[in-house]
Amino acid sequence: MQHKLLEVTNLQTHFKTEDGVVPSVNGVSFSVSRGETLAIVGESGCGKSVTSLSIMRLVASPGEVVGGEILFEGQDLLKLGKKEMRKLRGNKISMIFQEPMSSLNPVFTIENQLGEVFRIHERLDKKQARQKSIAMLERVGIPNPERVVGYFPHQLSGGMRQRVMIAMALACNPALLIADEPTTALDVTIQAQILELMKSLNKAYQTGVILITHDLGVVAEMADRVVVMYAGEVVEDASVFDLFANPQHPYTTGLMKSLPKMDEQLEELDSITGSVPNPLEMPKGCAFHPRCPKATVECTQIKPQLEEYRANHLVRCLHT
Amino acid sequence: MSSFSPLHHRGGEVVRNYLIKSVLQIIPVLLLISLIVFILVRVTGDPVALMLPETASDEDRMVLTRALGLDQPIYVQYIKFMGDLLQGDFGTSYRYNLPALPIILERLPASFELAIASMIIATLISVPLGILSAVKRNSYLDIFITGASALGKAIPHFWLGIMLILLFAVRMKIAPVSGRGTFEHLILPALTLGVGIAAETTRLIRSSMLDILGQDYIRTARSKGLIETLVVCKHAFRNSLIPVVTIMALQSSALIGGALISETIFAWPGMGLLIVQAVNGRDMAIVQASIFVVAFIVILGNLIADILYRLLDPRIKYK
Repeated sequence: MQHKLLEVTNLQTHFKTEDGVVPSVNGVSFSVSRGETLAIVGESGCGKSVTSLSIMRLVASPGEVVGGEILFEGQDLLKLGKKEMRKLRGNKISMIFQEPMSSLNPVFTIENQLGEVFRIHERLDKKQARQKSIAMLERVGIPNPERVVGYFPHQLSGGMRQRVMIAMALACNPALLIADEPTTALDVTIQAQILELMKSLNKAYQTGVILITHDLGVVAEMADRVVVMYAGEVVEDASVFDLFANPQHPYTTGLMKSLPKMDEQLEELDSITGSVPNPLEMPKGCAFHPRCPKATVECTQIKPQLEEYRANHLVRCLHT
Repeated sequence: MSSFSPLHHRGGEVVRNYLIKSVLQIIPVLLLISLIVFILVRVTGDPVALMLPETASDEDRMVLTRALGLDQPIYVQYIKFMGDLLQGDFGTSYRYNLPALPIILERLPASFELAIASMIIATLISVPLGILSAVKRNSYLDIFITGASALGKAIPHFWLGIMLILLFAVRMKIAPVSGRGTFEHLILPALTLGVGIAAETTRLIRSSMLDILGQDYIRTARSKGLIETLVVCKHAFRNSLIPVVTIMALQSSALIGGALISETIFAWPGMGLLIVQAVNGRDMAIVQASIFVVAFIVILGNLIADILYRLLDPRIKYK
């Protein structure tokens, strides 16, 4: 078996609020191989972003990783010192965020912000960092990189800013790239360009990618494997083909049904009734049962485990 | 920070136009101030009564009133007043028997000295405390700093000034009680003013930093693997300064004429002291001229604040 780039086991990230402990991520496990793109899908608030921030160890207070293991190239990130973790961030593991408009510092030039990565991780001087920044901008398809490098973020469009973010994330050829809804804030044509760019870079440099999204179209386009999350837990984990051809969890099925299809005329799209449960009042038994069309009495009592439905396809449901 | 040069890449012409426009905007403001000053000074009492002894005859009063032009209709007085103003003539001080403007300009260096010294003290105190308080928010240190700045804001200047004199000048004898001259003379008045400004600025920096530390680009900076010091002192502080610098520039210009209490306590020969004395002695020319000078400095301070704001934030466009 291929050695895994990243193995997350039983990750638990809790937020201690005044109303109680919110288990945003509650025993999540998955893995990513080199060159593989893993998509994490789910509704807002299901713990996707917290999972990715946990891997970066950037969960902001009052959130805290309280349990589990995050093995990166065999090394547990949760046991690393702050300094060692910093050496990995932006270097071997990097991240692209959802909001290109606000993710760049408005008062520094692109050269300053992009060059910073080279200055701290590769100890390059200013001039070398500038040269590499220009080369990086060129690599992510920014026209006129010599000019753009001197720009401030507000002088660039959203798509261009996201390219700069990608350039920043890929600057040190990371082994793992975490992209948290990288195209959500962009319009559709720019989305396609950014995804295409990520795909080509992923193939060219064998970067493992974790793609966090709620857009199943993006998943179908990009992913090798898919992890479906619901209420802080993994409910299904399968290869992209298997998942689309053979979704097992009622939640996954629901997500698929809510997609418009090219060959059907529909008055109204299907949607999953209800909304994500309040994390402080998790339903007993299966977390999804109040919204599940297949729910039985059993589902309200017994909490299902993530079990192998068949080789390389895990499902958390009593009825599979 | 050499890569930061918004003035540069926008071209000198835009900046020059902006400056010319800003300076032109000062004119109507000064006109309005001249009118207000003119009216205020004339409705607050009769200078002739103050200048002459109580035993003076009605004839003496008439002579002086005519000599001062106070017998003329009010609009004639205003036209004459404006005409003199345009020639830089703010009138003659009754008390010093000298032109008012030079007397005031002579006091300016002392006022600038005190304002700059107190701003330096305020900055030295408030920047580290404000940052610390934000970074360690809700810790005991934060509670202590927030409490101390509330106290610093609440303590009246006259009380703090007197206490400082009692402690450092009377008891410990390490600073002079009052007056101006050496560096030692500057310490206590600057401290008195600086503490109050620091208290306010600390709170300002704290809340500005808290706001900035929650921004997405701070998370980006951390995700690049930057050390926390660089995240806080470069990425966050520079942004948090934008509102702070604006307010500090306004405060320091207000200080030049506004340090009345501290200047009085420490007998600091600045504008503040001069204004207090002129008001008490009903020395109209000095009052008029000093209000004008202070107003001009505040306007200038505004302009500087505006320029600093643009320098710090490249998103602001020159119009």
